[in-house]
Amino acid sequence: MADLDLLKNRVILESDRVYSISSMDVPGTYPGVDDTWDIEKFRKNFKVVISELTKSNIEFDLIGVDAAIANAFRRILIAEVPSMAIEDVFILNNTSIMHDEVLAHRLGLIPIKADPNDFSFRWETAQKNGNTQGPTDADTIVFKLQVKCTNKKGAPKDDSLDPSELYENSSVYSGQMVWSPQGRQEEFFKNSPPRPVYDDILITKLRPKQEIDLELHCVKGIGKDHAKFSPVATASYRLLPDIIITKPILGKDAEKFQKCFPEGVVEVFTNKDGEKEARVVNPRKDTVSRECLRHAEFKDKVKLTRVRDHFIFNVESVGAIPPQRLLPDAVKVLIEKCKVLKRSLAQLNQNN
Amino acid sequence: MNAPDRFELFVLGEGEKKLTITPDTKLPNAATFTFQKEDHTIGNMLRIQLLKYKKVLFAGYKVPHPLEHCIILKVQTTADTTPEAMLMDAFQDLIDEFATLKKKFENELTLHNINDDKSLRDGNGSSTDGMYGNNEYYF
Repeated sequence: MADLDLLKNRVILESDRVYSISSMDVPGTYPGVDDTWDIEKFRKNFKVVISELTKSNIEFDLIGVDAAIANAFRRILIAEVPSMAIEDVFILNNTSIMHDEVLAHRLGLIPIKADPNDFSFRWETAQKNGNTQGPTDADTIVFKLQVKCTNKKGAPKDDSLDPSELYENSSVYSGQMVWSPQGRQEEFFKNSPPRPVYDDILITKLRPKQEIDLELHCVKGIGKDHAKFSPVATASYRLLPDIIITKPILGKDAEKFQKCFPEGVVEVFTNKDGEKEARVVNPRKDTVSRECLRHAEFKDKVKLTRVRDHFIFNVESVGAIPPQRLLPDAVKVLIEKCKVLKRSLAQLNQNN
Repeated sequence: MNAPDRFELFVLGEGEKKLTITPDTKLPNAATFTFQKEDHTIGNMLRIQLLKYKKVLFAGYKVPHPLEHCIILKVQTTADTTPEAMLMDAFQDLIDEFATLKKKFENELTLHNINDDKSLRDGNGSSTDGMYGNNEYYF
């Protein structure tokens, strides 16, 4: 790879510094290279690859986008894709040792399995209904949590001190929340009633004669308002590492070179002269520790780089939205944002 | 206790405009755009998009203060266009770009699901194809 191409397409890592970081593919940077924006060129070069998809996790590559776009998606995923969470807690009775506000905060953080697309934001319904305040069935899910702790009937086996054997309801779990359908919700959510994503989240502990009696209101919100509304546990990206061996690494050095990287990144093979030689097989697994640059024998033989427009995203869903739906949702939010701004710009231009 | 309300981050204030334009008094074809309730997400994206046009001579943005939830975007263009027109193009191109991205992602997702089903049928449960998968098979 020529030096110019290297600077243009790669982030370069040396033992003491990282350089060529910012994207420079704008018109006028390189003589003789036309970098003007062209949607057709983008369509041709852009690629998505999904490399892993599990129930809660997705790993995908966005190839051929700028860091600004990749970062916009990351930020939108964390802070602006809506989801449902408990916002109001009405405490009718709470004789447990946990204070009302602490209890309410804990409840707020429980992920709720309900499709945010089925609901509107509170301010949306308020606007529609002429600013009448108050929850409606279009924007609020109601749960009830009524638990009372009692002594268990019958003497415990041997002299047990285990509260779960001594008492009924000594621990309150998220699974004990009961959905109380409002208005048309019962019919609408017949097949997928709203519920907590996990039933075994410990909310509080009780002892005999203590009880809690709560009404919980879930609303739609975004992560910017409070982290409990964020639909992702993590949303991060890294650049694809690219290890370039400039001069052959032979013999014992090859094995030493292999050991500088995590398993599976570099392999040692026998070349046609019958000598052992190192070659890169899977740079994706590399952590870019730069260990190999600490050894003088590799200094001029290897270049550690990252591909500047190849983003490996790792997104983990909290559970309410399936991981494969997170990116499309983020795109929708971003397009909507652009449209709103475009409209207000058009309006301004008209007025002038 | 005196922390500002979180909703100030994304709810427009009373009588506040989403976007205002101030033409530059000293430079020709230059303007400053102020976007209320926007942040680096939009700011950096717009800056990069604008820089990709030949007709844009300068594009830069800043968040003036952490407690002011707005961004300021400065744009200067060549004489044959205006900053407003270029910004309009930038929005349209970004929307097109995202639409393409979404379509490609959804295509890839169906492909991935087909591959997954196939590997499940073949009894080797995993879907650890190479980086580019063995998708050629389906074209």
